[in-house]
Amino acid sequence: MLIEALVPAASSYAKDIDFVWELVFWFVAFWFILSEGIFFYFIMKFRKKNSPKAEYISGEEKHQKKWITYPHIAVLICDVFIVVAAVKVWYDVKQDMPPTDRTVRVMSSQWAWTFTHPGPDGKLDTADDIIKNDELHVEVDQLYHYELHSRDVLHDFSVPVFRLKQDAIPGRTIMGWFTPTLTGEFDIQCAEICGIGHGLMGARIFIESKEQHESWMAKNNPRGENLLLASNEGR
Amino acid sequence: MKRIGLWQYVLRVLCGTGLALLVFSNTANAEENERGKQLFEMCSQCHGLQGEGMALSLAPSIAGLELWSLEAQLRKFRDGARGVHHEDIAGMRMRPMSMWLKTDEDLVAVANYVASLPAVTSEATIEGGDATKGKALYGLCQSCHGANGEGLQPLNAPKLTNHTDWYLKTQIYNFKTGIRGSNPKDTTGALMRPMAMALANDQAINDVISYIMTLSK
Ligand code: HEC
Ligand code: HEC
Ligand SMILES: [Cu+2]
Repeated sequence: MLIEALVPAASSYAKDIDFVWELVFWFVAFWFILSEGIFFYFIMKFRKKNSPKAEYISGEEKHQKKWITYPHIAVLICDVFIVVAAVKVWYDVKQDMPPTDRTVRVMSSQWAWTFTHPGPDGKLDTADDIIKNDELHVEVDQLYHYELHSRDVLHDFSVPVFRLKQDAIPGRTIMGWFTPTLTGEFDIQCAEICGIGHGLMGARIFIESKEQHESWMAKNNPRGENLLLASNEGR
Repeated sequence: MKRIGLWQYVLRVLCGTGLALLVFSNTANAEENERGKQLFEMCSQCHGLQGEGMALSLAPSIAGLELWSLEAQLRKFRDGARGVHHEDIAGMRMRPMSMWLKTDEDLVAVANYVASLPAVTSEATIEGGDATKGKALYGLCQSCHGANGEGLQPLNAPKLTNHTDWYLKTQIYNFKTGIRGSNPKDTTGALMRPMAMALANDQAINDVISYIMTLSK
């Protein structure tokens, strides 16, 4: 709720991630307010005017130590909840790969995003691929795999409305997935310092209905850009 | 130490501001170049302190190019007519830098500053080009770029001298393959594309570039 008020949640797992975030937030808020409350209460209660001179204690006796031990155990119990929730969400988002036959290729470079859409035939590396700089077009409620590459240095593919962030590492192909759940146009950003143009390395994601997406494909295809790629080989 | 009263203090501040404004308004012209110089500090990280270019960052020499062509190219980058093709590795680096110039005034100021820098002549790095054959090939180019490669503004054809040869080569290659000049917004780039295609092979490109390099001296 807290995050969604500021950034819409537009992927199937956005709300799960927000849930973990808020779990941490409320645990921390509870302990923060409680401990600060006690702290200020004691400051007021034992101010110089109405209390004797402070006494030095080494804090080794059980009835003294319990003021540390009990809250410590309570915090550890909170941690167990956080760890269980976080591991489950991490597994779903990053380790699990629900199957799909839709894949988009995301190429990062200094300083632009190049998205290769599979086009009407649904397959990458065919003549009807649609290649766009700084524009990613996907269909709502469809599961996508993404194939993340970098041409030069570290980048990070970040889609705030998806709560998705994934480093791109030169020389590696990193796979991941998402399912968009809201239609609209949202930000994509680079979330890893990658040089002087890092701050301007933004792109847009267009989440479209089935009809919108099909008409977009029809309009942009075929572009023949792969013929051009082939002719680049002789460079 | 004598303390001054509040009103006296306010009066002094007002006088000071007025004086400063007077000085600034008198130097408005100099100040535009100041702005250009200040903005150029960012550009120099890739284009070099004197705008002499830097092969490592793929950034060409820009010092002393003509104002109109500098402005036109900066606008093209900014408006997405150049540097948006996915194979244009160098152009994709320059595009965000043009977007960093937030206002038209800034764009013009930095272009003015770059135009005022002394043009540089660079050493040839491409081997095997034949300038004599290149001269014959250049016959095609001179109707637009001028007999001495000086450029012709009425035809939107920029000057070709005082560039590094590797930059000229990538650009001709880019025009040829459509990495540059194929964007629907790039109408003047489209004029140059068939000319690059007229250079049949790598040898022809090297030849014409060796000839262009002799014009820079
Ligand atoms: C990150 C490095 C970088 C920075 C910073 C940078 N540029 Fe560039 N610039 C390039 C590259 C690379 C190219 C070559 C693009 C190409 O090959 O198409 C270029 C090309 C240009 C061109 C086109 C030259 C021509 O002959 O057409 C101009 C003009 C230019 N830059 C001006 C600037 C200005 C002005 C700034 C500062 C606001 C700047 N650049 C900052 C990398 C940079
Ligand atoms: C029909 C006129 C015309 C002819 C003929 C022509 N050009 Fe061009 N050329 C242009 C224009 C216009 C541009 C500027 C494109 C732009 O605005 O981006 C250009 C740009 C260039 C550039 C890029 C310069 C830069 O600073 O980025 C190079 C290099 C070039 N031409 C080389 C040649 C060569 C070599 C020939 C001969 C084979 C040639 N041109 C013939 C019109 C022409
Ligand atoms: Cu980046």
